[in-house]
Amino acid sequence: MKQKSDQVEGKDDIILAGKGLCKGFPGVWEHLILDHIDIDVKAGEIHALLGENGAGKTVIANCLSGFYTLSEGQIYVKGKPVTLKSPRDGIRHGIGMVHQELALVKPFTVAQNIALGLPTSDLSFPLPEVENRVRQLSENYRLYIDPLARVEDLSAGEQQRAEIIKVLYHDPEILILDEPTSLISTDAEHLFEALNSMATMGYGILFITHKIEEALEIGDRVTILRLGKSMGTRETAKTDKTELVKLMFGEHTPVQLERKPVKSNNIVLDVKNLEALAADEEPALQGVSFSIREGEILGFAGISGNGQSELAEVITGMRRATKGQVIIHGKDYTNHAPREIIRAGVAHIPEKRRAMGVIEPMTAAENVVLKDIRVPPFSKGSFLNKSQITRHTKEIVSRFGALVSDLWKSQTRILSGGNIQRLILGRETWRMPRCLVAVYPTQGLDAKAIDHTWELFMRLREEGSSILLVSEDLDEIMALSDRIAVMSKGRIVGIFEGGEAKREQIGLMIATGASKA
Amino acid sequence: MGFPANIGELTKTIIAGVIGFAVGAVIIMLYGYDPISAYQALFNGAFGDLYSFSESLANATPLVLTALTFAIGFRGGMFNIGAEGQLYLGALATVAVSFFHLPSAMGFALSLICAVFAGAIWSLPVAILKATRGVHEVISTIMLNWISQFLCFYLIAKILVDPQRAEKTISVAQGVRMPLLVPGTSLSYGIFLSFFAAIIVYLLLWRTVIGFDIRATGHNPLAATYAGIEKWKIILFVFITGGLTAGLAGAVHVMGRPPVYAIYSGMPSIRGLGFEGLAVAMIGRNHPIGIIFAAIFFGGLLAGGRMMQLSAHVPLEMVRVVEGIVVLFLAIPELVQLLSFLRKIRPPLIFRSKRSQDEDRRRL
Repeated sequence: MKQKSDQVEGKDDIILAGKGLCKGFPGVWEHLILDHIDIDVKAGEIHALLGENGAGKTVIANCLSGFYTLSEGQIYVKGKPVTLKSPRDGIRHGIGMVHQELALVKPFTVAQNIALGLPTSDLSFPLPEVENRVRQLSENYRLYIDPLARVEDLSAGEQQRAEIIKVLYHDPEILILDEPTSLISTDAEHLFEALNSMATMGYGILFITHKIEEALEIGDRVTILRLGKSMGTRETAKTDKTELVKLMFGEHTPVQLERKPVKSNNIVLDVKNLEALAADEEPALQGVSFSIREGEILGFAGISGNGQSELAEVITGMRRATKGQVIIHGKDYTNHAPREIIRAGVAHIPEKRRAMGVIEPMTAAENVVLKDIRVPPFSKGSFLNKSQITRHTKEIVSRFGALVSDLWKSQTRILSGGNIQRLILGRETWRMPRCLVAVYPTQGLDAKAIDHTWELFMRLREEGSSILLVSEDLDEIMALSDRIAVMSKGRIVGIFEGGEAKREQIGLMIATGASKA
Repeated sequence: MGFPANIGELTKTIIAGVIGFAVGAVIIMLYGYDPISAYQALFNGAFGDLYSFSESLANATPLVLTALTFAIGFRGGMFNIGAEGQLYLGALATVAVSFFHLPSAMGFALSLICAVFAGAIWSLPVAILKATRGVHEVISTIMLNWISQFLCFYLIAKILVDPQRAEKTISVAQGVRMPLLVPGTSLSYGIFLSFFAAIIVYLLLWRTVIGFDIRATGHNPLAATYAGIEKWKIILFVFITGGLTAGLAGAVHVMGRPPVYAIYSGMPSIRGLGFEGLAVAMIGRNHPIGIIFAAIFFGGLLAGGRMMQLSAHVPLEMVRVVEGIVVLFLAIPELVQLLSFLRKIRPPLIFRSKRSQDEDRRRL
């Protein structure tokens, strides 16, 4: 164990700094991913890096730890300029990064996982040594974990601890954590305690998050990123939520959505007493009933994992209902094939956009016509009509502002999540579907694109589409929905009229799962 | 995405081939033979003159077709190794038509039609079992390959046997044989049938709706279902089309390969063509146009190998080793993809650990 105490004395020393950091990936995004960013981390502080999805937080982290190389700019470690060509260079300079997605081999033990990443591997595999070292580290930093436990038996929080210890094993002086709370929303307190004690020991910590509250709670200073640009650095003691919101989102006021009352009484989607199992064969839906009228938006609020995705999948034919009925325009479509449900006029923006929404190895054009290719003008008889497909794709791409470098050559895999979402939105809405099942429709989009999507949904509503909207974002639900249903543990615990719904009331209901009194 | 546009893939193949030949050279040297003269003989035997090139093309003729069987399946995410058995039946169906003394034009057409039908019918159980019961095609095609083999042994020995010569079937009628393209060689006009089939499959996969659906299903079955593609239709189409080309391979071989135009008991001339097609498909990256070149290369290896044995005096076993190494190296880029593909196949229940069973359930 290296002594960290010598660094505690010079507490305000900048140990890691980046000046003028630039990174651009050609053709993927309209701006530079990183646009001349200055950032520094002092020994003994927790520096929060705050920004929306796609703001470039992870890219900074990857550049500072050697996973990506910079297009421009210079990194300094303890005042000396360094060039990081690989993560190993980062480790050599004392920079350790904990990635958002855990990279552990599941059937291996914690100690084995750490031994895997050791720089030298000779024939005498130092497993007992590693185990002792892990025990020691987990004591020192209060990141309790059993080195002999198999990773697959650990909870998400424990796995993350294992990942942090894996990084600490290399004796870093700077620790970069990329959205560490995304996996352990309930267990964050432990992590925060450990990080705080590490900061007192003299580590410099860069903590990446998109949650303002977290940045304020854990950070000593906070740097705000927006669309690849730094919006400035603040001391958390001297700033507040309002200022951070403004920096993070710009002077952006959400669109004012006008709505006329729902005109029609025609029921488009009628769901009766629906039951279904989740992937783990636990009941996911337990008697869900509701109906949506023509030109109505029904918002489903609730923490994800309470049955919303399963509900959307059952309605669109992607998951079997074990009981109950799905009636579309008066006709029973329970457990019908997705093909028939599509024909009945139901569009579906799925939750798993990369796994279900697109076929990643195929091209953008092929994905845009994924559902429409079987009908004219995109095919004539059995043959594809490439020129029509190209024309249509160009239109969708430009209308939804997706950035696609080549419609027919590059795989959809290389597009950013936001651009994929734009393609899916375009594909599912351009026909003005009678019924739209939209699950997290604005995930990965920037503020402007979210506005456009909201306006689009309102326009669809005006045209008479019925929309089932699932979202975790209460603002989105409140802004769009005519009625709001709250789901908890596979049941609808309450349905509110849009006008009467109080934010606090819904929030409380989501949090407790208690039904409307 | 056409094949020529994919320069990266082509370079990969060339590099793999060079390494394969280099490793082969080392082995030839280790055993005290001269690799340069061996490879010279190999090349001369494969592409050296019109005769050898014709022999290479003749070898390639059925291989293009059996490779297509595998490639269509692979593009649709299915591992169809049933070409072998389907090819046997295609070949025998062709012979059977000559049992009846039909006018030559009618006999010719009927021979081809019966062969492709025989191949397609033999692939039907695979498709139906997979579509309705989820039986994995690797299991069912292997079983059907064996059934086909012994069925054909029986047919050769008992039904289609040549009354004068008990070791072979009757020969295909004169009028049904494919004319030779280069007289004095084994190369018949059947090669054009093979190339034509490859082009049709190319157009099918990249220019038609069903081809789009096949590729979509192959890349991501979940997203394909989401997009309204019905998997059972794709399964049926993929296996039946595969059966058609495999059956055609059998016909082309019997109708176009001198001197016998018949099948001997034990089927020495056609055994293995189905599995060699699998190797050809891998070298050609499961692309119809790539397959044409891969089949010519593979056919050349077979033709040149003989010359390597005769003029460079490398023993036959060594020739086979070198051929095997070259093919293996060439297939490596595609093998990598294949392995990741096979990992997705669920092993039968009894071989599965408790954990993987749980994972399966979660996946469904």
